Amino acid sequence: MEIVVAILQALLLMLLAPLTSGIGRWLRAKIHTRKGPSIFQDYYDIIKLFKRDDVRTESSTFISRGMPVLYVGVCFVLAMGMPMATRACPIPVLGDIILIIYLLALPRFFFGLAGVDRSGNYASIGGIRELIVGILVEPSMMLALFAAAMVLGTTNVGAMGGIVGSMQLASPVGVLVAGAAFAIACYIELGKLPYDVAEAEQELQEGPLSEYSGPSLGMIKVAMTMKQILVVSWFVAIFLPFGSAVEMTVPAMALGLVAYLVKMAVLFLVILVIENLVARVRFKLMGKQTWAVVGIAVLAFVFCALGI
Amino acid sequence: MKNKKELRIGETHVEAVRSHFPGSIVDASWQGEEQLCITVKLDMLPDVVEFLYYGRGGWMPVMVGNDERSINGNYALYYVLSMEEEDPCFLTVRVEVPPEPGEYPSVTPRVPAAVWSEREVYDMFGLRAINIIDNRRLVLPDDWPEGLYPLRKDSMDYRHRPKIAADMETYEFLRETGDSETTVIPMGPLHITSDEPGHFRLFVEGETIVDADYRLFYVHRGMEKCAEQRLNYDAVTFFADRICGICGCAHSVAYAESVENAQGIVVPPRAQYIRSIVLEVERLHSHLLNLGLVCHYCGFDTGFNHFFRVREKSMDMAERITGHRKTYGLNLIGGVRRDILKEQAGTLQLVRELRTETQQLVEELLGTPNFDARTKGIGILDPKVARDYSPVGPTVRGSGFARDARYQHAFDGYKSLKDWKPKVQTGCDVQSRTLVRIEEFFDSLDMIEELLTNAPGGPILTEDWTYTPHKFGVAVTEAPRGEDVHWSMVGDNQKCYRWRAKAATYSNWPVLRSMFRGNTVSDAALIVGSIDPCYSCTDRVTVVDVKKQTSKVLTKDELEFYCRNRRRSPLMD
Repeated sequence: MEIVVAILQALLLMLLAPLTSGIGRWLRAKIHTRKGPSIFQDYYDIIKLFKRDDVRTESSTFISRGMPVLYVGVCFVLAMGMPMATRACPIPVLGDIILIIYLLALPRFFFGLAGVDRSGNYASIGGIRELIVGILVEPSMMLALFAAAMVLGTTNVGAMGGIVGSMQLASPVGVLVAGAAFAIACYIELGKLPYDVAEAEQELQEGPLSEYSGPSLGMIKVAMTMKQILVVSWFVAIFLPFGSAVEMTVPAMALGLVAYLVKMAVLFLVILVIENLVARVRFKLMGKQTWAVVGIAVLAFVFCALGI
Repeated sequence: MKNKKELRIGETHVEAVRSHFPGSIVDASWQGEEQLCITVKLDMLPDVVEFLYYGRGGWMPVMVGNDERSINGNYALYYVLSMEEEDPCFLTVRVEVPPEPGEYPSVTPRVPAAVWSEREVYDMFGLRAINIIDNRRLVLPDDWPEGLYPLRKDSMDYRHRPKIAADMETYEFLRETGDSETTVIPMGPLHITSDEPGHFRLFVEGETIVDADYRLFYVHRGMEKCAEQRLNYDAVTFFADRICGICGCAHSVAYAESVENAQGIVVPPRAQYIRSIVLEVERLHSHLLNLGLVCHYCGFDTGFNHFFRVREKSMDMAERITGHRKTYGLNLIGGVRRDILKEQAGTLQLVRELRTETQQLVEELLGTPNFDARTKGIGILDPKVARDYSPVGPTVRGSGFARDARYQHAFDGYKSLKDWKPKVQTGCDVQSRTLVRIEEFFDSLDMIEELLTNAPGGPILTEDWTYTPHKFGVAVTEAPRGEDVHWSMVGDNQKCYRWRAKAATYSNWPVLRSMFRGNTVSDAALIVGSIDPCYSCTDRVTVVDVKKQTSKVLTKDELEFYCRNRRRSPLMD
């Protein structure tokens, strides 16, 4: 049963990712007072991309060629372990927070390298920026999660969600603050405005993406949306597990799915509004903003350690 | 002895030059109430121009070259100076340059503002400025043959194309990067954020721009030559509209008034009001465009789209008044073609709507997170650099200079505005320039209301004048991006003998290099955007460092060596 759920949710995620980004584009257009594309536009784009040739520079190596496949693959693996409609992880081994952090870092590392690898000037700057963003965000993300894990006594996402969902916490304030820190870190991790510094269109002409074309670009587009959904699901699974299916029965899971969709819709709407009301952060000042997140995460750690 | 009150406008400057440089002035004549031309001896040129520029509050919009061999046997250069302190007027310093050897002492080492004009005069007329620091081509493309000077009257038969002289780009980009290891980041000729071609080379260390150089004129259209050869002088008003897609009317009015000034035509007051109203409508949509673009460059696309939504109203206003969204086809020599009919009430309603809607948007923009951090202290235009290069419009007004042709050289309906003063900011950065545009936008709305309400009745066109060949005149309008200066001389064949259109951005490009330095790559587009450049109207970039007043001709090998090895910089002495 679990393995079926795991594969099913990963497949669904991959197939529905363009719909999510398409709805995002449509809503963005509404906020802009534009008519906007159809919500299926991203499917059309990706189908078109898959019909095209893949153009590469001569000097590019296996790193930039393999990156899109790796990116999609990692997202697929993550999706199999992430609790979505269910409370527990479909595949518990894949639900460990430390594993998830490293799995997320892997495509990022290759994404950054690929930017440098393709020898385009803007792509290199974008690649380097991507790596720097990783270095700035990951510590606060880890700190917030470790603080929560310390209180909850486990590093498994499903188990953590189970304890939070039972509302029996040794240190409720600590977990709340950790959740807040993790939420902000996740937002930066999404790579949306104002933090889309690596692909900044007006500054870097889409950064590493500018060197990709055809099926590779299509794969990256799918993978980027999958990653965004996974990061939000990750947050939901640990800190907002309410409504998800505790038992592995079909009716419970149907209800859990509805709850999951509602939670995701609300969160994505909030993200969309934020994204459209801000200007892009100046890259040089980004470090200052991530320090604030580190501060909140440290606070959470202290609260958790004191058991408040 | 003359009484001071009897002096004509501009005469104090002539007196001052006479007393400082006795015997330098060959001739002084007035082309209109507020403009005069002094012809000086060739060897005194740099001294006189420097004295007038720095000593008597002059700014230099443009220098015009003219092939006058058929009139007096020589080429003539006209250094147009806008005198803006005491005794404001347009003072043109004219020199005659003999065809042999075709050389004149460069003014650029003394007054950097002349650099582009002097380079252009070499491209177009083959007159060599002695001691100019930067003698690279400016206007002509790399494949244009050497020794063929298009604006000489006898240069070539224009029914044939000249032979292509080069297959590859040969332009040398300057860089002063010292010892730092820099990477070259090309921006353009086509870049995602600019809609027109311009090639910028950024020399960066990490993300910091150490130096930058740029070239433009990819879309040089040869309009001046076309006007001389193919159009009658009275058709050029419509041609001048097409210089720019945004501020066409500003060019058209400037051209019409340069002829009117030269020929002594008095335009009826109602026509003058109509011209000012249309110029202000143009400013509305141009400033809204730039405010939208500032949002876009900062990654705030919601603001961009909303500014463009509101901008549509200003286009409607233009359509209501002129019958055309782009304010084209309105001017004639001696007046305007169409009157504003009973449309005022509707226009005033639009003015009110624009005011409230833009007010909301501006508040939203200024309150947007990160907007302040993105624009404050970015792209600093040092007032000293500004003084040396004579930039115009919001670019110079953001650096503390209250230069505005509507104020210093009040023309048309602007003469009737009493309490208005140019808006100035002193931050010298992108934010200041944006704030100047915001304030000017609201000023324009007030002006349109005032001009529409107070416009006098009467005719809109005069035909009561006689055509005199070979008289020349200067005229200026304040386009949204700064002053447009047109210089024209009509010939004896009902055509322009020489027409020089100086678009506002032509004066603003040369300061860009110093604005780039020290910023990051991510700010580059924003900085270029903050001067609101108009590529094709200017179409013209390269700059000489003011600190180093040395002249050096670089060979291609030297530069290539330096590019490869980054040692032995040819620019370091």
